[in-house]
Amino acid sequence: MLSTVRVGAWTTPRLTRTYTAKAKRSVLSQDTTKIKDYTPKVSDPHAHRVYVWGFQETGALGLQTSVKKAQERYTEMVHHPTRLQFSNNNEITDVAAGYGFTAYAVQRSDGETLFGSGLNTDSQLGFQVKGNPKDPANLDVIIYPTAIRLPRENGETDEDMQVRSMAAGRAHLVVVTRNGTVFTLGNNSYGQCGRSIIDDERYSKSALIHRIAQADICGEKDEIVSVECGQDHTMFLTKLGRVYTCGWGADGQTGQGNYHTAGQITLIGGDIEKERIVRLTSSSDCVLALNERGDVFGWGNSEYGQLDDSEHAQTQINTPRALQLTKGIGLIKDVAAGGSFCMALNDQGLVYTWGYGILGFGPFVEQTSKPQHLLPPLFGRNDFSNATTVVSIGCGVFHMGAVNSDGDLFMWGKNRFGHLGLGHKKDQFFPFKAAINGKVTKVAYGVDHTIALCKPYF
Amino acid sequence: MTEITLAVIKPHVLRNTYALQQIKSLIEQNFRVLDQKEVHITKDLSDRFYAEHQGKFFYHRLTSFMNSGPCYALILQSEGSIQKWRRLMGPTKVFSAVYTEPQCIRALYGLSDTRNACHGSDSEASALREIGILFPEFDVLATADRKVKKET
Repeated sequence: MLSTVRVGAWTTPRLTRTYTAKAKRSVLSQDTTKIKDYTPKVSDPHAHRVYVWGFQETGALGLQTSVKKAQERYTEMVHHPTRLQFSNNNEITDVAAGYGFTAYAVQRSDGETLFGSGLNTDSQLGFQVKGNPKDPANLDVIIYPTAIRLPRENGETDEDMQVRSMAAGRAHLVVVTRNGTVFTLGNNSYGQCGRSIIDDERYSKSALIHRIAQADICGEKDEIVSVECGQDHTMFLTKLGRVYTCGWGADGQTGQGNYHTAGQITLIGGDIEKERIVRLTSSSDCVLALNERGDVFGWGNSEYGQLDDSEHAQTQINTPRALQLTKGIGLIKDVAAGGSFCMALNDQGLVYTWGYGILGFGPFVEQTSKPQHLLPPLFGRNDFSNATTVVSIGCGVFHMGAVNSDGDLFMWGKNRFGHLGLGHKKDQFFPFKAAINGKVTKVAYGVDHTIALCKPYF
Repeated sequence: MTEITLAVIKPHVLRNTYALQQIKSLIEQNFRVLDQKEVHITKDLSDRFYAEHQGKFFYHRLTSFMNSGPCYALILQSEGSIQKWRRLMGPTKVFSAVYTEPQCIRALYGLSDTRNACHGSDSEASALREIGILFPEFDVLATADRKVKKET
């Protein structure tokens, strides 16, 4: 009994420790549930984020939400890469840039798979109206990404309608969905939508979305893996490496062996007839193609000696041919064709440019038919990151870009309406890194705007 | 003596509402517009309009481009309008114009050497000839008379 008292005597002083009234208030009454548990801020859960920059008046950037607000500020151009708010709420999987408009491939719970913003004067973004349904106001310009409804047949599901590949030209948009259906929207005055040309067709306020089954283009045994558009022509690349084209051929850019306009999608041959083509590129009227062995082929406009510099070189090549001037620069991994110049990336990670324009070699505009390479330190290689190398290249009509293995984007060339994204309006004469808060995975180069699809760093 | 000239805004600019608005306001600041209309330059019309280019390598490209949609034609009048309009337009070739004269219409709104945004007459004679083709109803002499009256 005594012992228990002892124990109590040992323990009670601790339990009955006295506090002043002030200390009671501040220490004893502390509510631990109010102490915040710090969790580091995680970037938004979407796997992709989108940055846009360049000319804004067409609405192609999709940044504005109110026309009135836009008029109050100077917003003609955005020369810094700017996060697209639409990408915060949507899982964007692919982007395509046309002349003054942009298309976004989206995964959403409501089943919409395709969105667009920008110029819609040729209904390249579908039939878009607002206001009273009886007397709707037509939208020539769409300032914020808006759903484009692809017409479905025979119970096609949301999954079937996901975008496999898409590309945009001057005023047309071509989308290949996961189940292999091709949809074409917009201007067809050269047959670039893959249907016959109708004289005096009105493209404004048109609800027509043309639908082509994959098998009608390349047969049952093959499938379309990607689509690429020049300004006014369209090219389809299949799994077996074949190329099908339609549209304007006045420079030979359809590669069909003539200079006609073609509304009929046709398999093309020439030097690529027996080749397995893995990549096609065109931003204007000059086309480059790459086969699986790393050889380059080209056709279309060659007025600036991009495709051929021999003495009696043609300026308009209407049949695909193997390029002689890229022989000797190694195995090519990627190609890009601009308006008056071309680019190639070899297996050493060296970027070669040739043609006319700002090729990246210093403060002058030049013309050369000899591919020359830009030095790797320009693309982020240094003593601390020896392995950094260029992994993909691309270009618009007047500017070029390259993405390195760190996910940095480098831009150079004509700075049309700030579309280089370097924070100024001056032309850039050598590759310069654009400030983007993410790892760049894909870049869509438009005529006067640029869109970058990025992954968060963490 | 006030000169008249013909300006044609090409199909791809007509589809770009912003560019069209900018070019039109530039015209209004600099010229008196005597007549304007939307025209479709069909193959027949461009065979006459571009007669001097027949046989050149870009002829088919040019005519099929002009035929790809409606154009907008204007008759402009001002002091030295022919040279003034050509100066505003800039060099024919867009790929070099973007570097040599970055502020001209063609550098801003041209897309390639063919899609070069606009056309302008190169001399007094061709201005009269081209106006006669696109505006057959327009009475050039009436303007000439007006000019004479003003001068006297």
